[in-house]
Amino acid sequence: MVKFTVEGLRRIMDLKHNIRNMSVIAHVDHGKSTLTDSLVAAAGIIAQEVAGDVRMTDTRQDEAERGITIKSTGISLYYEMTDESLKNYKGERQGNEYLINLIDSPGHVDFSSEVTAALRITDGALVVVDCVEGVCVQTETVLRQALGERIRPVLTVNKMDRCFLELQVDGEEAYQTFQRVIENANVIMATYEDPLLGDVQVYPEKGTVAFSAGLHGWAFTLTNFAKMYASKFGVDEAKMMERLWGENFFDPATKKWTSKNTGSPTCKRGFVQFCYEPIKQIINTCMNDQKDKLWPMLQKLGVTMKAEEKDLIGKALMKRVMQTWLPASSALLEMMIFHLPSPAKAQKYRVENLYEGPLDDIYATAIRNCDPEGPLMLYVSKMIPASDKGRFFAFGRVFSGRVSTGLKVRIMGPNYVPGQKKDLYVKSVQRTVIWMGKKQESVEDVPCGNTVAMVGLDQFITKNATLTNEKEVDAHPIRAMKFSVSPVVRVAVQCKVASDLPKLVEGLKRLAKSDPMVVCTIEESGEHIIAGAGELHLEICLKDLQEDFMGGAEIIQSDPVVSFRETVHEKSCRTVMSKSPNKHNRLYMEARPMEEGLAEAIDDGRIGPRDDPKVRGKILSEEFGWDKDIAKKIWCFGPETIGPNMVVDMCKGVQYLNEIKDSVVAGFQWASKEGALAEENMRGICFEVCDVVLHADAIHRGGGQIIPTARRVFYASQLTAKPRLLEPVYLVEIQAPEQALGGIYGVLNQKRGHVFEEMQRPGTPLYNIKAYLPVIESFGFSGTLRAATSGQAFPQCVFDHWDMMSSDPLEPGTQAAQLVADIRKRKGLKEQMTPLSEYEDKL
Amino acid sequence: MDFSSNYEISRTAKFIRSRNFTRVALQFPDELLKDSTKVVSALRDELRSLSESDAEGNRDYRDVGLFVMADTTYGNCCVDEVGASHVDAECVVHYGHTCLSPTSTLPALFVFGNASINSNDCAKSLSNCLLTNEKPIVVLFGLEYAHAIHHIKEIMEVESSRLCGSKENKALCYAEVICSIMDPEERFKTPGRQLGSFDSYTANGDCANSGQMNSTGCGNKYTLGGLTWKLPEGHKMDDYMIFWIGSDNPTFVNALLMYNNCHIVRYDAMEQKLVNDLSRQKSIRNRRLNYYVEKAKDANIVGILVGTLGVAGYIYIIQQMKELIAAAGKKAYTFVMGRPNPAKLANFLECNVFINVACPQTTLLDSKEYHAPIITPFEALLAFNRGSHWTGAYVMEFGDLVASSSLEVGNKEEEARFSFFQGGYVEDFELQGKGTVEEERSFALAEAAEKGLQVYDKYPYSLGKGTAKSGAEFFASRSYHGLEIEKDDSSPRSVVIGRSGKASGYKDEKSKKENT
Repeated sequence: MVKFTVEGLRRIMDLKHNIRNMSVIAHVDHGKSTLTDSLVAAAGIIAQEVAGDVRMTDTRQDEAERGITIKSTGISLYYEMTDESLKNYKGERQGNEYLINLIDSPGHVDFSSEVTAALRITDGALVVVDCVEGVCVQTETVLRQALGERIRPVLTVNKMDRCFLELQVDGEEAYQTFQRVIENANVIMATYEDPLLGDVQVYPEKGTVAFSAGLHGWAFTLTNFAKMYASKFGVDEAKMMERLWGENFFDPATKKWTSKNTGSPTCKRGFVQFCYEPIKQIINTCMNDQKDKLWPMLQKLGVTMKAEEKDLIGKALMKRVMQTWLPASSALLEMMIFHLPSPAKAQKYRVENLYEGPLDDIYATAIRNCDPEGPLMLYVSKMIPASDKGRFFAFGRVFSGRVSTGLKVRIMGPNYVPGQKKDLYVKSVQRTVIWMGKKQESVEDVPCGNTVAMVGLDQFITKNATLTNEKEVDAHPIRAMKFSVSPVVRVAVQCKVASDLPKLVEGLKRLAKSDPMVVCTIEESGEHIIAGAGELHLEICLKDLQEDFMGGAEIIQSDPVVSFRETVHEKSCRTVMSKSPNKHNRLYMEARPMEEGLAEAIDDGRIGPRDDPKVRGKILSEEFGWDKDIAKKIWCFGPETIGPNMVVDMCKGVQYLNEIKDSVVAGFQWASKEGALAEENMRGICFEVCDVVLHADAIHRGGGQIIPTARRVFYASQLTAKPRLLEPVYLVEIQAPEQALGGIYGVLNQKRGHVFEEMQRPGTPLYNIKAYLPVIESFGFSGTLRAATSGQAFPQCVFDHWDMMSSDPLEPGTQAAQLVADIRKRKGLKEQMTPLSEYEDKL
Repeated sequence: MDFSSNYEISRTAKFIRSRNFTRVALQFPDELLKDSTKVVSALRDELRSLSESDAEGNRDYRDVGLFVMADTTYGNCCVDEVGASHVDAECVVHYGHTCLSPTSTLPALFVFGNASINSNDCAKSLSNCLLTNEKPIVVLFGLEYAHAIHHIKEIMEVESSRLCGSKENKALCYAEVICSIMDPEERFKTPGRQLGSFDSYTANGDCANSGQMNSTGCGNKYTLGGLTWKLPEGHKMDDYMIFWIGSDNPTFVNALLMYNNCHIVRYDAMEQKLVNDLSRQKSIRNRRLNYYVEKAKDANIVGILVGTLGVAGYIYIIQQMKELIAAAGKKAYTFVMGRPNPAKLANFLECNVFINVACPQTTLLDSKEYHAPIITPFEALLAFNRGSHWTGAYVMEFGDLVASSSLEVGNKEEEARFSFFQGGYVEDFELQGKGTVEEERSFALAEAAEKGLQVYDKYPYSLGKGTAKSGAEFFASRSYHGLEIEKDDSSPRSVVIGRSGKASGYKDEKSKKENT
């Protein structure tokens, strides 16, 4: 640990070229936090007075208990490079001191919103991959997210110790495994061709890949070895590095490099010969306690051990030796400093991703130049609960200008529209704070390029916001974050004692703030709902709610429920008609299912209400086979004007039609939000207005007559078009050894899941299984799976798609009918669906 | 049931006679309208016979003018004073179900009607309840069963003394009908003094924590739907169980809401059985107080529905609501439209929530069919008073509401308002620039015109759902603004033959149907 004063830290924060903001991302259990720990142990900054008694990453008790990370934790590291090692550094720098703001993020898919929040405020990412398990689903997800944010990755192949101790693979096989891991990662990265970001793929021979053993605290890049051997072979380091990877073989017998294996028994790949084997040798010597052999070897390597360490034996000795020889901190930190961009460099290209406004205004320019003298642009990415109950720190990154204590800032919320007053506040920052480990230290100001926590804004920021100076009224906000997971699992909560209701409301408000993605809302039945990404996420949320945000007041939670969608299966069997209350207006309508993929296209925003009708017409006609003229006649999308349902005008020559359009649209927004079956949202239904008869007198065809009628006719057409329920489905990825497969299949079958991919990981005894699993069946799934496979299988579930339930909800006794009845009961509706005759009228 | 006793002909006649009314309005609800002619003729006979027997002393007897009023503009339960004043009536005789809300100008006589009830069976259910329940019981009833209460009481007394002498009668508490004759109260007569008089009213009721309790020396007095009862000192309603005799009408729903912490059972006199449905009570409470109130907080435009022109103090409440809404930074529009229905309210799509200012019995409307929730003034108070929390009490009547509103001081925090529907903080539009409110008003028209000139989306972003801040803005965002002249096509259209026939099915439609 580096002992440091606030002033010292604050001094480096001004050196914008010497800062690295980076996050550690990986699949769950690939060893992020362990690796981070070893970095922190060596280079973490702690306030001088508390030095010695802190543990950095376990900020929450449950994190330690479960052995997983739940919240992302930021830590600052200080590293001083030697002139020697910096001689190859080409970029700009100011001195040899570096400040690395590192954010350790959770790997479990349920918490990937934390990762998203972390990525926004960092410029680089250390991707950690287990050398045995390889690139997993969550690795891929977060990597894609990182690249989408234009974050430059470096890779570390972790858990090297498994190769040596557990699997005992020989050099060539290990090389092949590593090569595959790196290749898999590169396949993903290669799809993000970006001229500004440049080549984001990682190459061991360029030093962007490290090999680490987080548990034992050692790591190396090829640079380490290249340095060692360069002088020996008399070539320069870069050349040496290239030889240490890929198709370069060395035969000690002939002392020649070749690009092919010559077949001679002594001819080995460079990597194996010079990196893998020496490590293996050292480890084996340590493990076998052959100390007499060990000391000379270490001496040759220039490693000196302390006297008391020489008494260690076995694993402890090996760990100590490796840490001294190849300390993880220097290898990884040097890799980051060399290959990850400084804020000054990164913001040049990230400005396009970040800033919503015109890219040539002063705000964009200030961000681009990372200008501490420019206007303040600060993005708050998450709220961190403070030690005094109920208050939060607003945590974010300064992209330009500087934020200082007492500064009056303009807070632009996620719904802020430039030029309007909505979601806009002007408030003062009470205190600016930097994190020194667990302890917060107040500082006068924080310049751009750094992360900062602010006090006094939490009553105006829910989850995130853009801050700028009070006078900068022209500034646009920084783009909102996009999450890769969606909150599909919900529970209803209520307090045990009715008088605790204000506590519950306050608690939910705080919960909503503390988590980037949890959604707290109220259902029409008056129940308070918490929605999260998965069972684990909800569990943590509920625990936080009860213990931290409600002061221990007891709550009752319902069983988890999932929300369904209502859709139709076929075109309406006939044109249905509904009459207005005064019987003078008639609407004729039909419903039909949308073309496949159209609902998804609307979800993704490829087709939406704000498109240019021409562009939309083109997509609709080319991809979905619509008639070009009809594509122009889309009245609206819904629910909430952007949902995946639409109304299309198919009438010909109807008088006053434009007059009732608004009313029909209003009726549609209402109906599509609460479908006829169980008042769930509709999805993938296209309503066609076939004909309209209106009263000649405007007063008799007003909104009052048309809106309720439109709503009824939407319901009638839905009910005549073979209505169906859609249920949310998870994509489940499970990694397990072969003997556990039987158990996995058994559990999946029992839970209505089906496997669509089963693949053995090359070079490992592990199988990779991908399956679809209805969300409703997923409650208790990981528990059951663990039980059935004696703890060998661990699933990762992420929402994938909506799946149509084949049974007919209108037919009593079917599964869908039962579901509808349950939902209606839960919502406090009449258990019987309203019959079609209530909605449809006869001439 | 005997006709004249059911309609209390002789009592009515005596009432008219004793006060020397010459023009009397008889107000019937729709379901009793069929009896109105019979009632009138019976009354007339009765009055005549009364005057004849009395003729000696009173020479100047004139025939009493009896007017039947039907189809009230608002709820059947309230005295239609406006209707009565059309015929210059001096008093109103109200038949059928009533809320006994105080009147403001005319005296009124209420005839509740006598619904049939099996007193023995009812008493048996009651004593069963008493035996199985730990708590003491308050007996409440629909006014139409008021006639039978005395009988039930007697049976119960016998029963309880027979069953267990130790369990004394204290465990039972019967409500009484407040009155069946109502005189307009002084304080409502002069509108100018209203405010002051309400202040004094508040001062009188200050010991009550929720406004529904008025301490009168020996105990706490409660009122609900024309009933009144007293509990011994130191007892709260929460300690009691409520036994309701009558049908599932709005008064019962009021009871469910007002005493939402009590266990309420209902004795259905028609089916002679006990209904015990706790979940309904909870669901009504949750829906109204959590969901509707939360929705109302998010509203930008609030419609105030004037649902009564008779209940005393309604003008004051409307005024108060307007002030409340303005203080919350929202826009209020007042509507007078008689009894609301979905079609009527759907004409005002811009309103995000409606406040129904009406008598306690009609103020609760099931909002399911309406495009926006309809809330009571009390709920509006909860929603628009920043920082006010629901404390467990529910207030229905205006007088109580006025009393309670002055007690609830919203502790104005600096924190922005958190919306559960938008999942974040929202600041209400006008609150921020408080100083500019006046200015905005005066330029409202100019501003609207300015907005009219802006380029709007072809597809309006959101219709009536919380984006427009005033009616003008809402109209500007609609796609249809009235007749438009198509500039590119100036040539006259050719004449087409219009539709003919009846609206229930035009001629061209008929033929189309035959074809298919």
